[in-house]
Amino acid sequence: MYALKVESLKKVYPQFTLDGVSFSVEAGQIAGLIGRNGAGKSTTLKSIMRLISSEGTVNVFGKDFSREEGAVKELIGYVGGGFRFYPNKSLSAVAKATEGFYPHWDGEAFGRYCEAYTLVLSKKVRELSEGMKIKFSLALALSHGAKLLLLDEPTSGLDPLSREDFCDTLLFLKKQGVTVLFSTHITSDLMRVADQILYLSGGALLLDEPLETLLGRYRIGRFSSPEAARAAGAIGVKEVKNGFEGLVTSPEGREATLDEIMIHLEWTRRPYEGAH
Amino acid sequence: MKALIKKEFFLCLHPTEYIYLLFAALILVPNYPYELIFFFSGLSVFCASLSARENGDLAFTCSLPVKKRDVPLARIAVTVIFQCALLALTAVCIAVKQTIFPEGLRINLVGNSANLAFCGFGALVLGAFNLTFFPLYYRDPNKVGVPFLISSAVQFVLIGLLILLRHLPFAAPIASPDPADVGAKLAVLLAGLTLSCIMNVLAARLSMKAFEKVDL
Repeated sequence: MYALKVESLKKVYPQFTLDGVSFSVEAGQIAGLIGRNGAGKSTTLKSIMRLISSEGTVNVFGKDFSREEGAVKELIGYVGGGFRFYPNKSLSAVAKATEGFYPHWDGEAFGRYCEAYTLVLSKKVRELSEGMKIKFSLALALSHGAKLLLLDEPTSGLDPLSREDFCDTLLFLKKQGVTVLFSTHITSDLMRVADQILYLSGGALLLDEPLETLLGRYRIGRFSSPEAARAAGAIGVKEVKNGFEGLVTSPEGREATLDEIMIHLEWTRRPYEGAH
Repeated sequence: MKALIKKEFFLCLHPTEYIYLLFAALILVPNYPYELIFFFSGLSVFCASLSARENGDLAFTCSLPVKKRDVPLARIAVTVIFQCALLALTAVCIAVKQTIFPEGLRINLVGNSANLAFCGFGALVLGAFNLTFFPLYYRDPNKVGVPFLISSAVQFVLIGLLILLRHLPFAAPIASPDPADVGAKLAVLLAGLTLSCIMNVLAARLSMKAFEKVDL
């Protein structure tokens, strides 16, 4: 069963177009949305949440978002980066106003998350560091029984230990059947938790496949010249220290990381492959 | 809707929305353009909208389980609640004035007199503000100043016309102190309230439609 099914999502800006993005995430899976800055990750997540008006359809657990907006949003926990709202309000005031919207709000769970994240509820939002703001957003999103979490770069301001906690939380939630779609630049987090990778480039979805398949398909080949790389069928060839590297599908070469796959795939989209 | 309105009270209200309610007491000042009381109400809506922008209120609210189009409706509902409170306080001040002030001080030389009919004028001015401000504001919530300037201009033109009305011979009954000409004044009051209701409904519909297309 699909937790999230997105079809032909399109948003046109003067300088950028999210170009008919379609994908789905199965229930209970963790999907990572990756791509360089400006690739359309936030636009995709905001379009799903209808924070921006865009074309296309979004289904959450079989419910059409545009027809059942309120009911669908009840199933979703959305974290759009750090908590940038109401800087002069206390965390408890924000939480109190938020809980009224969710019939399944779990005050005890909220208390547990606040304790785990060392959030002091009497503090004002502006008194939190960026990392703590993200933790507060997460605590809110995780406390209303969301079945689908949409997270826009949730770990970007977190220290390594908090990121580890965050990844543990995701894996725990996955065991509870929660589905997660999150965008990030920190691909090591994805290596740890993601089942599926969605790779956006220039507003188009370039890749949508299981992490294991993606990592199994590509290896990094090292070559003495671009010609040698091309002869070996390497793609995304770029100059590196003392030679050239590209993605190869043959068993030769070393294992590729998600970062390297992303970089070399991005390189294939440049006008002169291998050029600086 | 209940949760949205509760959230407005918890997180969004600006202190001026309460403070400017007290300006109803200006009714007790002799010979003053009392219609300005309703301009201050608009000023408090402007302050609240600026505050909402700085607090990222709309983006936060739209991420909650509500329909996007209900977000402007809640804000307008809360504004109308405050405007009703302002009209009620104005009516109380008018009653006090009509009871304890000598007749000479109950007739306003620089604008409309504070009487039953004046509450109808107030409702009209408030409704006109809502109808111009909110649909423009919800077309682009990042621009609060231009909608406020336009809606204030509309308010001042309307206030000017209402003050002119006082000098027309057929409108003499509505300038008299209460309880004289109570029938005519009640008619003006009801007409003002009815028109205001219509303008508020229109303001809400136009705002909801405009806000659907906004990118947050």
